[in-house]
Amino acid sequence: MGDVGVTHHVLGVAGSYPMLLALWLLPLAGAVICWAFGPQLRAMAGWLVSALVGASFVLAVLSWRDGTQSAAGAAGANQPLFSWMPGFDFGLLLDPLSLLWTFIITGVGFLIVFYSIGYMQGDRAFARFFAYMSFFVFAMLTLVLSDNFVGLLVGWGLVGLASYFLIGFWFERPSAVAAARKAFVINVVGDVGVMLAIFVIIVHVHSIGFGDTFAAAGTLSAAVVLTICVALFIGAAAKSAQVPLHTWLADAMEGPTPVSALIHAATMVTAGVYLIARCAPLWNASHEAQLVVGTIGGLTALLGAILGTAQWDIKRILAYSTMSQIGYMIMGVGVGAYEAGVAQFFTHAFFKAQLFLGAGLVIHALSDEQDIRRMGGLWKKMPFAFWVMLTGVLSISGVPGFSGFFSKDEVIYGALQHGHPWLDAIGIVTAGITAYYMFRLLFVAFLGEYRGEAPVHVGGAGSWIMNVPVAILVVPSVAIGGALLFGGDASPWAHFFAPLFAAQAHLAAAQTPAPAISENFTSVIVVIVVAIGFAIAWQRYATATAQRDAVDRLRTESEKMPAVLTNLFYFDAAIDVIFIRPSQALGRFFGQVLDPRVLDGAVREIVVTAGWLGTLVRSLQTGLLRAYALILVFGAACFIAYYAIAGAAH
Amino acid sequence: MPLVLVSILLPIVAGALLVTLPRGDRVLSRAIGTVVAAITFGTVLAAGTGDWSVRWLSRPFESAFHFGATPISYWIALLLALCTACAVAACRVERTRDFVALLLALEGTMLGLFLARDLLVFALFWDLMLVPVFFALIGWGEHPATAWRYFIYNFAGGLTLLLATAAFGVIYGSTDVIGRGGAALAGGWAPWIYAGFAFAFLVKTPVWPLHTWMPPTYSGLPSPMVSVVSGVQSKAGLYGFLVIATALLPAYVHQYATPLMVLGGISLIYGAVVALVQNDAKRIVAYSSLSHLGLIVIAIASANPLALDGALVYIVAHGLFSAALFLLLGYVEEREGTRGLPRLGGLGWMNPRLGGALCIAVLAALGLPGLAGFAGELLILIGVYQAGYVWPVIVALVAIVLASAYMLRLYQDIMNGPQREDLPIRADLTWLEGLAVAPLLAALLLIGVFPKPLLVNAAITSAQSGTLP
Repeated sequence: MGDVGVTHHVLGVAGSYPMLLALWLLPLAGAVICWAFGPQLRAMAGWLVSALVGASFVLAVLSWRDGTQSAAGAAGANQPLFSWMPGFDFGLLLDPLSLLWTFIITGVGFLIVFYSIGYMQGDRAFARFFAYMSFFVFAMLTLVLSDNFVGLLVGWGLVGLASYFLIGFWFERPSAVAAARKAFVINVVGDVGVMLAIFVIIVHVHSIGFGDTFAAAGTLSAAVVLTICVALFIGAAAKSAQVPLHTWLADAMEGPTPVSALIHAATMVTAGVYLIARCAPLWNASHEAQLVVGTIGGLTALLGAILGTAQWDIKRILAYSTMSQIGYMIMGVGVGAYEAGVAQFFTHAFFKAQLFLGAGLVIHALSDEQDIRRMGGLWKKMPFAFWVMLTGVLSISGVPGFSGFFSKDEVIYGALQHGHPWLDAIGIVTAGITAYYMFRLLFVAFLGEYRGEAPVHVGGAGSWIMNVPVAILVVPSVAIGGALLFGGDASPWAHFFAPLFAAQAHLAAAQTPAPAISENFTSVIVVIVVAIGFAIAWQRYATATAQRDAVDRLRTESEKMPAVLTNLFYFDAAIDVIFIRPSQALGRFFGQVLDPRVLDGAVREIVVTAGWLGTLVRSLQTGLLRAYALILVFGAACFIAYYAIAGAAH
Repeated sequence: MPLVLVSILLPIVAGALLVTLPRGDRVLSRAIGTVVAAITFGTVLAAGTGDWSVRWLSRPFESAFHFGATPISYWIALLLALCTACAVAACRVERTRDFVALLLALEGTMLGLFLARDLLVFALFWDLMLVPVFFALIGWGEHPATAWRYFIYNFAGGLTLLLATAAFGVIYGSTDVIGRGGAALAGGWAPWIYAGFAFAFLVKTPVWPLHTWMPPTYSGLPSPMVSVVSGVQSKAGLYGFLVIATALLPAYVHQYATPLMVLGGISLIYGAVVALVQNDAKRIVAYSSLSHLGLIVIAIASANPLALDGALVYIVAHGLFSAALFLLLGYVEEREGTRGLPRLGGLGWMNPRLGGALCIAVLAALGLPGLAGFAGELLILIGVYQAGYVWPVIVALVAIVLASAYMLRLYQDIMNGPQREDLPIRADLTWLEGLAVAPLLAALLLIGVFPKPLLVNAAITSAQSGTLP
């Protein structure tokens, strides 16, 4: 135990927290049971996993007091687990930040798992799906609850695995298989970044704990902190689909829609936001790191939004919007507006899960049709889905009063407050584009006349299983922003995160001069830009003229789409040319030329001669040869045995 | 008779007796083989670090038949016994009786190697353990040239090892030095002795550019034997570096650390890049071995205590997952009659258990957190970075990304995709086949979660809680 001279800084009040342990392990139990007894459980698998994840959520709510306690400067609860290796002590940390993520992972996770019971009905690998989902929840909880970098890395890798399994869930589809592999490999690039950060931390801090590292942040040199932050950000960028590591996210839509809702919208892809918010003390110590991360976040927000305007697949539109929204979050936490970035995560989890599940209702009813050009007029056929999508679109677009409005506003103003006016400008422009492409989605899919061939199946027994979770999600996605975020520094949100981020906010306020324009003024500009985006979408897709010849208009639009957009800004092509092809060419050269012709050449002649001899001997008498071998080995054995007995006799 | 001797002699004697059984009784020979391997596992476990010795030579230098496990060889011997038991249990090749006999002979000779505490005995078993593999390649391999390539390369290594051992004995006066402190040699002939050891060890591992015997050997041998050869025999060189070169000639390991690290680094990337594009499933694993073992060579060259501990964890981890991979690929080949990736696909639907087992082995190989490979990799890289070698760490991180690409390709091209019309539909793993790989996979998980017992380096185990050196 603690020897002389070393003081350990542990985050949270150390103690025994059985509820915390239980809420972490229940989903693992669900995964193991579904994996081992899948064929026996059948439909029960869905109910079992829902119950376990729901129980986790209840325990998370009951752990509220543990997670928000503070004593002697330590906020939250710390449950020591075990010592993996000497020096690698694992523990769980529940503080306001991980509590928030736990709420979303288990709460929104419960609703999505429940919804999946309906969505996945009749799939031939029903139990396997729930085993993966449950495993994902466990892995994600490991990521956000770990009190050290190695535990976080374990969770980081395991969520990547769960994501791989679920993207490639329908593994008879070659496109799903390729998408799963791409997602995994890019995420390993991220894992490797986190590993590098861990090496630097261990060498300079001699510990893997968050507490020790943050306590030492002030004493490390600027270059070291910058290295750690950049390495961590490689991890964050891969996981959270930031430019240029974003290309896997749109392909990940090959997975079943509830997977997209849970993993590729609400939770896993926000792990990068969590990581940066968690490591706030490190980012606070490096202005350069803040600049890098804030800029990439802003770029991703803009790029994702632009790509969102050029998609026809309903899930891909939502995927690019996710990329763009995470760009906002990363921009927020990157520039130091941690509360704002985290708030954006919070509201986004609700409205994006709602949008994906709403899209799932449509896809389910149209027998897997995902192209919005072959939809249209669905508001009459599927009024419930329409209202769900409408409220989701209003919230994500940042229409005043809806949750998305409050969080996005905080991020945009936060950029200004922390001295990045041009990131603020990017945020405003992106808000307008967001309104445009989200209303485009809504108008093309739901207004006008139905343009598809697939019959629309709505309702039926058991449709409540899918409708109820979506309906529940509508409430927070509309109202929770106003309830928690309204009021700036006096809001419940600011109060909740005060123990973690308040010091930073005061510091920033002292360092950066107050911006020339007020928060309210920014909000007005954002609202105007959003209105413009909405108006353009209305003009192009919703007016009576646009509706009349919708089929032709949409076809013209797809034909005239600029190549740079249909090729997604050539990121995939660039990765292919720069990394994939050269390594394959090198592999072929090594394997087919260098190995057999050059390196092996020296022994080739001897081997060929000997090989000829071998064939000769073999054709003469193979049995004889084996007998020789056995005699040789047996002889050696006798030899040793003799000395053994002789030795024993002494 | 001392247990350590029993564990060496039992498989050899049992193998020799097996040949007297009637030909063609595959079930009986397999059952006997499995029981013998399992008992051997038990005796290795029970023998612990107890040793046994009898003097053999007193001139020109002292030498003894001295056997006993060192903390490092204890784990490798356990790994060997486990891998052999699993390989024999699942063995389904022609002329099973003779093949099982060879496998047991291989186990015995390799136990002799790893448990030897005398250099001369070590060198003797080094050559002896080539023999069963050579005959397996002649009798069951795809091309006799492969057998000769294997033999010539490794025998050349054995020769330099023997010469170096003799020189060491003459200069130092005794070869009874393995696992015994304070026998370091320097000056005079010492660099040449180091060169002799190093050549043998580098060929055996193998390390680029001495590896060309390995891909044909690994793809040509029947799966049960290659799982032992790749899982354990390939560790003989690394073991030699860890307990012989580092202990007896530390000055030269240190002096030549950079070239060693460069060779390790080249192997690491070279193997990974070639594995990306191979179409033969077994060759992918063979080249991945080149890559993974390159990492251990880097760890040894760094001489950092964390990295050396990581090296043992990774030696065991690699033994487990490469043995499992080869056994499982053997099952695939038996079922479908091919191991070419372009001809395989979609097996996951009809073979969920085979698919699941292959998935775990592949994930361990690509370093998934929670499985043994990750623990070893992480420790090694922390140590190497701590020792101040930044570039080898970057190279290794790139190789980790490549590993995820080629390992997933291996798994997906076999198990995923649409079910193919041109492949016969076969039954999933039988309980016996499953039982044969289950211990390997379970050990991967166990060591991944609790790697502590494998950390044998005193510098680390004595570190205070929560702090790293």
